[in-house]
Amino acid sequence: MRTKFLLTLAAVAALFAASPAFAHHGTAGYEMDKVVTITGTVTKVDWSNPHVIFHIDGHLDSKVGGDIQHWSMEVSPPLLMSRFGWNKDSLKPGDQVVAETHPAKNGAPVGISGTASFLLKFTVNGTPLPHLP
Amino acid sequence: MNSSSTAKTILFWMFIVLLGVVLWRMVAANGRSARKDSSGAQTASRIPDLSGNWTVKAGNTSWDPANPSGSKPEELPLTPWGLERLRAAKPPFGANETFQPNDPVQKYCDPPGPFRMYSYPWQFTIVQTPKQVYLLFEYLHVWRIVQMNQPHPKDVDVTWLGDSVGHYEGDTLVIDTIGFNDKTWLDMVGHPHSQELHAIERFRRVDHDTLELEATFEDPKAYTHSFTSKRNFKLSAFPMGETMCSLSEDQEFQKSIMDRTVSSGPAK
Repeated sequence: MRTKFLLTLAAVAALFAASPAFAHHGTAGYEMDKVVTITGTVTKVDWSNPHVIFHIDGHLDSKVGGDIQHWSMEVSPPLLMSRFGWNKDSLKPGDQVVAETHPAKNGAPVGISGTASFLLKFTVNGTPLPHLP
Repeated sequence: MNSSSTAKTILFWMFIVLLGVVLWRMVAANGRSARKDSSGAQTASRIPDLSGNWTVKAGNTSWDPANPSGSKPEELPLTPWGLERLRAAKPPFGANETFQPNDPVQKYCDPPGPFRMYSYPWQFTIVQTPKQVYLLFEYLHVWRIVQMNQPHPKDVDVTWLGDSVGHYEGDTLVIDTIGFNDKTWLDMVGHPHSQELHAIERFRRVDHDTLELEATFEDPKAYTHSFTSKRNFKLSAFPMGETMCSLSEDQEFQKSIMDRTVSSGPAK
């Protein structure tokens, strides 16, 4: 079962590999050559179109002791996320998460963590979720 | 031989003749039926099997055959009208991509138009019946109907998806569409089209897992000459699903993400 899932995920990755970001909008507002890591707690999940959004209160790049930032990270729409092996309960309010994201160019605590062509790493309560390099 | 025997003999031979006629008609009818079945089976075998859920290969945001990524949108042979419309577009992708688009799909949940549909990372499927072919798209649950083996109506209305007629040429499904409104973009980078657009799609199953689409666009108002572009789609193992465009969901997304990324400073 796991092998079949991984093979399917690999096939999906092959379809979208080396392609520009692919969503209902582009990535013009994000620093796509930079990845930051947020460590914190999930406060809200918007599992809906046009893009799933995870809201996380946490520290940027493990700067524990600094101010808590209220981050919002978008990924693909629900249907595509389900094909990557996620579901509406993959992240839940209260979960401890370490999440990668491409941050907004204007410095706002907003990021893009996935489109149809990539999905950055999320670790939830110590367990990594499927990602698409 | 008396008259009674004669009558019986006549009746006997009349019966034989009648039986022979009945048997002959039965045999003849079976022969015609067999020929009809045979020709029907041959007709069915000439219809190519395009079934399956087809997934878009990402990266083709533009119908420009020389530049499918849309990094040079003015490369297509645009008329002055077409160029003006392209430059007025603020698309989400391509060389002119912006986070403050005037994309009618993003702003109003307008239907994307049939050819832009092929750029979205969602699946579509082709359902073939003898008189109609249906293209069903996951995105927005849009479906197109193609009337087979007949001409366009004389007075075609202008609609979001146009009027499509089709036929088979060997292993290829050919779809001819006219009657578009001009409210959609041809692709994700904002290439325009007018109501004069005449599009021809040729679908061919290259191998079991690959569907090729060759699309030709003729639009004398928007382009100085026609152009043709190809895309390939891969067979998907996933069932068809739902992706809708909801203004209320889009507005929430706009507030949570888009507005915060275009503000002048860090949002709190």
